[in-house]
Amino acid sequence: MEKKKNSVMNIVCIILPVIAVLCIAIGWIAFSTANPRLMPGPVEVFQRFIRTFTNPVARVILPGHIWASLRRVLIGLIFAWIIGIGLGVLVGWNKKVRAVLGSVLELLRPIPPIAWIPLVIMWFGIGEFSKVFIVFIGTIFGLIVNTSAGIKLVDKINIDVGKIFGGNQRQILTEIVVPTALPSIFAGIRTSVSSGWTTVVAAEMLGAKAGLGSLVTKGWQGNDMALVLVAVISIAAIGALLSVLLSKLEKVVCPWNQI
Amino acid sequence: MESNMKPKLEVKNITKTFFSDKGAFQAVEDVSFQIREGEFLVLLGPGRCGKSVLLNIISGLLEQTSGAVYFNGQEIHGVNPEISMVFQKTAVMPFKTVQQNVELGLKFAGMDKKKRAEISEHYINLVGLKGFEKSYPPQLSGGMKQRVGIARAYATNPEVLIMDEPFGQLDAQTRYSMQNEILRISAEEKKTVLFVTNNIEEACSLGDRIVLLSACPARVKEIYDLNYLPKPRDIVSKEFLDIRQKISDNTDLAL
Ligand SMILES: Nc1ncnc2c1ncn2[C@@H]1O[C@H](COP(=O)(O)OP(=O)(O)O)[C@@H](O)[C@H]1O
Ligand SMILES: [Mg+2]
Repeated sequence: MEKKKNSVMNIVCIILPVIAVLCIAIGWIAFSTANPRLMPGPVEVFQRFIRTFTNPVARVILPGHIWASLRRVLIGLIFAWIIGIGLGVLVGWNKKVRAVLGSVLELLRPIPPIAWIPLVIMWFGIGEFSKVFIVFIGTIFGLIVNTSAGIKLVDKINIDVGKIFGGNQRQILTEIVVPTALPSIFAGIRTSVSSGWTTVVAAEMLGAKAGLGSLVTKGWQGNDMALVLVAVISIAAIGALLSVLLSKLEKVVCPWNQI
Repeated sequence: MESNMKPKLEVKNITKTFFSDKGAFQAVEDVSFQIREGEFLVLLGPGRCGKSVLLNIISGLLEQTSGAVYFNGQEIHGVNPEISMVFQKTAVMPFKTVQQNVELGLKFAGMDKKKRAEISEHYINLVGLKGFEKSYPPQLSGGMKQRVGIARAYATNPEVLIMDEPFGQLDAQTRYSMQNEILRISAEEKKTVLFVTNNIEEACSLGDRIVLLSACPARVKEIYDLNYLPKPRDIVSKEFLDIRQKISDNTDLAL
């Protein structure tokens, strides 16, 4: 009985997403046939997608735009991960560091990543560095807060185990505390990737030679709605792909968590 | 016999009071007892009576308000590599394999990988976990997790082992079989053991002597010598039931 119920649930879980995607597709087709000027249909968007290869936008084909965005977000994120997780561990572990940085973090963390864009552009212009820096500054505070919260949550008994078995502060931190906090750290990484991705696209929309965000702006300004849709769909697809890759990576890094 | 009477560990007039905004709270009051070399000593007391607090003072995780702990005749402060511990909530690391958990103390001591593997293999076999070396604790049952905790404590080859209600979280069946396991293990690897429990039958099955503690704050009510009962003990024999009843009558109810 239990088993049967489960397999019915499984089928429902497979069918529901398919129905959801179908609904969107039908809605899209219906809307585009009713208002062809506002909303190009799937066929038109697909043809536009093919043309991004034969007829590059700003001399860059679609994969080039995707790579431009990806490279910015990855560089920004790598710096944010290293510095953010490092600082988060310090804030969570060391009371003095927490006293110094804690209130500053509480103030800076609620700022939405996109709100940094005008500030950073004013400071550093609209060049490549600015876009990377926007990703960095937009994601680092969330990383610090997630990491330090995870470190603070580590059960005292685990630290006692470290002391009883003769670990020094550094050993207890690296062998016990940080691995215990790894799931929280990973939650922070996951948030940073999704918010980093939306932020870089938003930054590119304000001006960039290449990148998916610049593609949206070019389509918009050239009244090329099909191009806008090609860019938007690519943004969504890459975002989804990143999140799938990340959960795969989490399974490799935290194998005990999936049991 | 003479050397057997020498105390391995001595707890002398230990008192612990916690101070907080709400005032002072006394958990342990003037506790004194001795543990002889090679002895299996059981501390028996009701729940929340201060047993863990007392153990944490002996192991050096906590500082006493007054009194002293002597190890081999010398007063000790802080953690000591010769005193190891099996924890109440098992406290094995979910992110380390069984083998890595058992090797924790050896790794901290800077021992090389090959030597560690040799030692951990021995103790993993001792606790009956052969074949589970590469498993992660979330894959194991409660009893198996505590076996990891026991192997981890034995692996550093300490002189004294402290076990804080190691079977408290287990179901009755598993608990009973783990009691037999600990008897077998402690017969195979002779150590001085300080074992804490709130279960009278467990105390009478395992203890060479039993130190009975009162309800909070923990005080020593009485010390019972059970050496006249050979192990493994017949838990339905008259002598066993008699001593069990005697201790039971003298036990404070948990609050
Ligand atoms: N760090 C602490 N600060 C204040 N009170 C504590 C602390 N640790 C333990 N206690 C109190 O001491 C009492 C005894 O606790 P414990 O030794 O853990 O009991 P048990 O005998 O069940 O092991 C409890 O009432 C507990 O709340
Ligand atoms: Mg306890």
